[in-house]
Amino acid sequence: MRILVVIGRVLDPSGMVVNRRRGRIFINREEYLINPADRCALEAALRIKDATGGSTGLTTSVEVMALPRSPLPDDDVLRQALAAGADRAGQVANLPPTAGDAVMARVLAAAVRKLGGADLVLIGATTLDTGQGQLGPRLAEALGWPQIVGAWMVEAEDGRVQAVCQSSLPLVGGAGGGIGYATVEVDLPAVVTVLPGALKPRYPDGVRLINVYRAEDAVEKWDVSDLVDEAELQPLLEKRGQDFPPERERGTRLSGGPEEMAQALADTLRQQIGRRPATARER
Amino acid sequence: MDTSYLDLLMAQQEEVTEEATGGGGIWVVADVVDGAVAPVTLEALGAARTLADSLGAYVYGVLLGDGVADASTALTTGLAQALYQAGADGVRVADHPSLALFALEPYLKVLADLFKAEQPEVIIFGATTRGQELAARLAQRMDGGLIEHVTAVTLDEATRTVQATFPIYGGEYFEIVACPEARPQFLTVEPGAFPAPFIDTYRKGEPTMLEVEPVEPAVHVLGPVEGFEPPPVPLAQAPVIVAAGRQAGDFERVLRLAVALGGQVAGDRGARDAGWIGPEQVVDVRGVTVAPQVYVAVGIRGDTFHNAAIEEAKFIAAIHPDPDAPIFQVADLCLEADPAEVLPALLEMLEE
Repeated sequence: MRILVVIGRVLDPSGMVVNRRRGRIFINREEYLINPADRCALEAALRIKDATGGSTGLTTSVEVMALPRSPLPDDDVLRQALAAGADRAGQVANLPPTAGDAVMARVLAAAVRKLGGADLVLIGATTLDTGQGQLGPRLAEALGWPQIVGAWMVEAEDGRVQAVCQSSLPLVGGAGGGIGYATVEVDLPAVVTVLPGALKPRYPDGVRLINVYRAEDAVEKWDVSDLVDEAELQPLLEKRGQDFPPERERGTRLSGGPEEMAQALADTLRQQIGRRPATARER
Repeated sequence: MDTSYLDLLMAQQEEVTEEATGGGGIWVVADVVDGAVAPVTLEALGAARTLADSLGAYVYGVLLGDGVADASTALTTGLAQALYQAGADGVRVADHPSLALFALEPYLKVLADLFKAEQPEVIIFGATTRGQELAARLAQRMDGGLIEHVTAVTLDEATRTVQATFPIYGGEYFEIVACPEARPQFLTVEPGAFPAPFIDTYRKGEPTMLEVEPVEPAVHVLGPVEGFEPPPVPLAQAPVIVAAGRQAGDFERVLRLAVALGGQVAGDRGARDAGWIGPEQVVDVRGVTVAPQVYVAVGIRGDTFHNAAIEEAKFIAAIHPDPDAPIFQVADLCLEADPAEVLPALLEMLEE
């Protein structure tokens, strides 16, 4: 069984300061993280591999291969995936830096065909920075495969993949009474997107880490022209600017009795919690 | 004076007549929750109406489900009409038992056939799980651009392009993106981001029924998982935190407040000394530094170390009896009161 993991990187937000008043972003430390959801997707793939005897060092029929989510200028993320336990990694050279998810879906689908097919594609459900989750479904569409979106756990065997997802059905369950979780199943090949925080990613093995960075050819390279025509590389979306939320006004003091204060606080909290962007869990 | 004739007159005038179709239009795919149109769909219709009025286009709503066309029961009388009232000029209804529960392939088939025939300019979904799934697959199939989690839209009239704003890093800042050439332009709008539209109860229309060919869904739901709980979010990444301090009074109430807000419990050194929380729950630069969307400090005086650890919080509410407590210098909303007096009333309102 061949499992492909699509993995990308995001700028570490802790090295970044957003100045709302001046409308500028200052990047103090340009450091990158593996997109947390993609890391969980990699972990899910490695667990499937382990479940078939991969961790014992014996031969396993599962091959895990890492592919890039976006036009990466370096292969760091792919080497990290190799160090964590992936068997192969592939990089696509000469991708235009503007390539968005629509283009990447085409390129990755072409890569899958070039590899001679795959059984399962695992990918993070969202990116940490932009919060966009379209690459997984877009790739599924480009391949013509079914998809499971937003998995908490993934298991694959006997030509089927099972995942635990938040249920859209009116199921009874969950301690809070509201959210239920269901097991869903689909025949392979399929695309499954994994939620950030779903699994605890493992640390890369030290020796492997040194080896993958020493080996020049640890990451296989394709040229984009071998995969898709140039006409298909036109980006669909175009950046038109940035917007900054207004600066905070601190220290609004409430007056009145406890009842009135509680009412005002309850209203504000409801509004604030209702307005906050949906977290990964709710997506 | 009898003014009922006015109602009649209005009702006649507001009968929505849909023009001949064939290209363009702004389409909103409705989410139905508990037998009613979801608020996010109404908000999307409001946004679509504004865009359509500037473009001189029509707004269409699409309803999918089982029994959604049934106007005989009180619960469903409104579904199609609710879309008209929120601003739709035309409504398409796909009513079939195979659409009773959301499954990707049947929904996709209906929408893909519909949009292939209609060639919309803009297609809007709610940023719900199913909206996200459908929008991305349709966008790839129709070679359209998709912008997810949109919180605001403007229009580039010259090229009839929607410029959409969406949050980066959960709202640190926003990016504005447009899809200049490819059509249709797909958007998923964030629930609560757009104002609810004016509901014009005089608007009404006759929805068009769509032919539904049943398609077998690829994904099978095997059944609920008993006792599954997703792994807890670490405190440092929790979106909502309720923290207790020495003046919190009854800690039980703080726990209840956290449950009511769907957040996690934390505290300062004082709460740790009182034995309410564990060492891993202490918000302090020497403990955990947090960056939640909402931070509620109950009875925390707020020393330098604590206040520095909550600097990244998007919204801070503080309850403390001392008007000079340093926490009030960093809080967005300050309640100078004894938590023991405020919390019971607050819990009553939030636990409804």
